[in-house]
Amino acid sequence: MKKVFHYNIIPFFLILSLGGYFLIQQNLTVKRENYLNQSYMGYTLPSKISGLAALEFKGILSDFLFLKVSTFLGDKFIKREMLADKHADYIYNSVDVITDLDPWFWDAYLFADLLLTWDFKKIDMANKLLFKAREYRTNDFKVPYHIGFNYFYFLKDNMNGAKYMMEAASLPGSPTWLNGLGTRLSVYQNQYKPAIMFLSETLKKTHNPALAKQMEIRLNTLIALDKLEKAVQEYKKIFGFLPLKITDLIDKGFVKTIPQDPYGGEFIILKNGRVFTTSNMIHKQKKSN
Amino acid sequence: MLSGENNMYRKMISLIILSFKEGVRDRALIGAGLFSLMMMGSALVVVSMFMRDLDKVSVDINLSAIAFAGLLLTFFVSINLMAKDIDKHTIYCVLSKPFSRSQYIWGKYLGIMLLIFMAFCILTICSSITILFIKSQYEFYFKSFSWIEFYKAVYAQLLLLFLLNAVVVFFSTITTSSFITLLFSISTYLAGQTIEEVVVFLKSKNAMDMPLSESINAIIDIAQYILPNLSVFDLKVQSAHAITISYNYLFAITSYSLIYSVILLLSASLIFNRRELK
Repeated sequence: MKKVFHYNIIPFFLILSLGGYFLIQQNLTVKRENYLNQSYMGYTLPSKISGLAALEFKGILSDFLFLKVSTFLGDKFIKREMLADKHADYIYNSVDVITDLDPWFWDAYLFADLLLTWDFKKIDMANKLLFKAREYRTNDFKVPYHIGFNYFYFLKDNMNGAKYMMEAASLPGSPTWLNGLGTRLSVYQNQYKPAIMFLSETLKKTHNPALAKQMEIRLNTLIALDKLEKAVQEYKKIFGFLPLKITDLIDKGFVKTIPQDPYGGEFIILKNGRVFTTSNMIHKQKKSN
Repeated sequence: MLSGENNMYRKMISLIILSFKEGVRDRALIGAGLFSLMMMGSALVVVSMFMRDLDKVSVDINLSAIAFAGLLLTFFVSINLMAKDIDKHTIYCVLSKPFSRSQYIWGKYLGIMLLIFMAFCILTICSSITILFIKSQYEFYFKSFSWIEFYKAVYAQLLLLFLLNAVVVFFSTITTSSFITLLFSISTYLAGQTIEEVVVFLKSKNAMDMPLSESINAIIDIAQYILPNLSVFDLKVQSAHAITISYNYLFAITSYSLIYSVILLLSASLIFNRRELK
């Protein structure tokens, strides 16, 4: 009799426990999310410690750390939270550690470069990491190409921009259009065209869907800015003065519609004829802690 | 004379096969194999989370899985085979047969190495299939991938295990418990993996600002010669980026592993011949 009683009661308690586990699990997920939001995890162990602790598994540790950093920041991008300076420091320090573990890890360098330049405007930090990459990836045209682009587009330093672009063009595997771009850079000064070319090329070779989507949004915004800027120049050529408002371009038939800024900003015409967006190509919907 | 030599070889081969069969029966072998296969399988999912270094990540995961399985085999199966023979007094059964103690040491070691070699062959085939599958999915990202460099890294890992297992055999002849052998072997592995970085750090410019005492410098120099430098066998990162490793380098690490292992095994034979088994 006793045995039958035991067999009857075990499934009952099992189902009860499973139900309890399911409830606790859900509750824990919410609590954990709050906990993670409140406690910022912007810390990566210095490579002098993590490098020693990784023993012979430095490569896989660098992959894991990179995944951790990209997931953490990817989440912030998906939630469209504004990123602060502390996030830039976190990216720089983490990628520095990751590339100490594996100094040839291009994904890490590229990730830091794209975020530090476009989102944080920390060009010096991005270039510091790229120069580290240049020491190891000596035959990779992408490294001097990105350094050159940063000098040219963000720092407005055409001389260094041309220097590194030409260095990139001389390395094996560089695209044919790169050859001579260095010398033509001054023609493109203060234009969106190089940025469109740069992003299109990077986007073509990016596998990660989340990052590719971010790049695509940025590329579309740049194409819209380029299109509007060309229309503004056309307007000036015909009327001899700049349009007062962006909608003047529709009124005079230069464009059919004003495209929407995917970042939620508005396109404006500056006094020098350049077109900018008030969003500065950063999602501005929520504030992060 | 010739028949005597043949007899000795036959004895050795039977000891090697005996140790190999004993190792195959160990359940820890299946555990280590399954764990590394799961790790290789995880590569199929994990690589999709990266931007473009998909070849690097798949090589990293697969080589780490092979290396980790090798370490599990060394620290659990080899120590079980070697030290527990003495621990559990099963050694008397073997030594009651017409084997010398040196033959026992060499036979055991070669049996363990045969086991690890076979396990490595199976794991290398599995990891090659995994990489081949990932490569077929993401052909574009595998342009710089090199099979030769991948197999060179696997070979270097095997050399590391030749040496580490000689360390296990050595410690099992001087200690009385398998647990102490495990502790000593793990400590040697940790020290061997870090000694190079510690020495480089201590000799770096930063360290020059805080000069070390002469006695500490002497200890570091001695430790550098006594401890095996296991980081020389770590070619995973280079292999992941298809950086060419010269055959001269491979020859150098092969010689290093062989000579160090032979020294340890000869010392183990000497010690074991004089050891009183209670």
